[in-house]
Amino acid sequence: MTLPPTSVFSRRDWLLLVAVIGMLPFAEKASAFVNEAISYAFEAATPYVEHGFEVREDTWSGEVEPGKPLLVRHQLFRGNEYWFWAGTSWPGATVKVDIFDSEGNSIGLESFAKGNFAGVRALPEKTATYFIRVVTQYDPEKAKLDEASEAVEGVGDYEGMVDWGLVYGYR
Amino acid sequence: MIHRDFHAPILLSKGLTVFAIAAALSFGGFVAAQEEAAAPERIDLTNFPGKIVDQVVVPIPAEIFSVLDKLDEPEWSRGVSIPDEPGDGSDRSLLALTFGSLVGEGFIAVQAEEAGDIEEIGKKVLDLSQALGLSNAVQPHSLAIIEAAGDRDWERVRDELDSTQQTVRDTMDRLRDQQLSGLVSLGGWLRGTNVVTTFIRESFREDKAELLNQPGLIIHFREMLGKMKGPSASTPQIRAISTGLARMEAIITGDGVISEEDIKGLNEISRAMLEEYYFTP
Repeated sequence: MTLPPTSVFSRRDWLLLVAVIGMLPFAEKASAFVNEAISYAFEAATPYVEHGFEVREDTWSGEVEPGKPLLVRHQLFRGNEYWFWAGTSWPGATVKVDIFDSEGNSIGLESFAKGNFAGVRALPEKTATYFIRVVTQYDPEKAKLDEASEAVEGVGDYEGMVDWGLVYGYR
Repeated sequence: MIHRDFHAPILLSKGLTVFAIAAALSFGGFVAAQEEAAAPERIDLTNFPGKIVDQVVVPIPAEIFSVLDKLDEPEWSRGVSIPDEPGDGSDRSLLALTFGSLVGEGFIAVQAEEAGDIEEIGKKVLDLSQALGLSNAVQPHSLAIIEAAGDRDWERVRDELDSTQQTVRDTMDRLRDQQLSGLVSLGGWLRGTNVVTTFIRESFREDKAELLNQPGLIIHFREMLGKMKGPSASTPQIRAISTGLARMEAIITGDGVISEEDIKGLNEISRAMLEEYYFTP
């Protein structure tokens, strides 16, 4: 199975692309062009830019077996506010994201999860390494519906792995 | 946990406003439909049932600068120090470190809102990218940095500096040069650490010093240098930087308490490391 390559677009390119797609009357077909996990994560991040969040260019991504949680370590600074946004582009896949301190305590202040993307907000109480957990799920019935409605092309047959991407912003 | 709902338009650039408004209307519908995600209150990190991702994303200096700005009023213009001939040499490892530090310099100049310095840095970034054989990838960013500085659009300059660094790292990764890619991040981190410790040293406070509590990043950089291969791995400069990181690791123990003496030490160590390839001793 070959997943789509990680994008080389800059965040500004993504913001433009997402904005253009928002204008299209047939957004489902257009979304096939941005059918990548990272693009979904950036898509989730886009509305937050207007609220003063600087969204980083550097990202995490890969493939994972649905249901198997991923743990990303990341340095956060007390005094900043953070949002982490996760995405998956695989038809039938969903994603959730949450954040924990070094003791394993949840520090997420608010969160959302909507199908292909999710987000969690945190205000770290100390400058330290934190842990962001990403969990994907795969539903074959949803996959059929997604493929029928989104005309997803070129991702191949499901072979037990889905793509995932994680981006973050701060202010 | 509180559900958050955004209906506001997306802010891009002047030329994209029309797109942004339309996109916001589109987003209004699906964002409103977002569901709150329930997270467990606690997980056992010592027995995590999944995969630990080994990829490390290094924070850009601007992330630390933004906190320092909230805690103090640093005179950022005093922090800008652009070398005359950055990257004067042919060792690609040192060029990559220098590139990262020069981008870090750009972030300092943005905090200072010094358009002239940013334009100079933008030009030097392009020169350095030519030495690295990456000018095609970097040129659009370099021009955008210079243009945004001229417009005094500091947010865009920050975006372009981040993009520049990321483009270079992505290009190096595609060329299977991950070793150089990591050095770009290290160079930026080192320049940021040096300027932050300079300001904190001048007016010490524990909450500011806590910004240096980054043991995980230091371990990451040490491991990265430890895995370096080829002639660059054993140059005096890389060895000196490796030693400097070891000294930093001894200071930053991870308990979160960083003293005034520690800050002085970190400032002097980071300065000495930068003098290996960036500043003139």
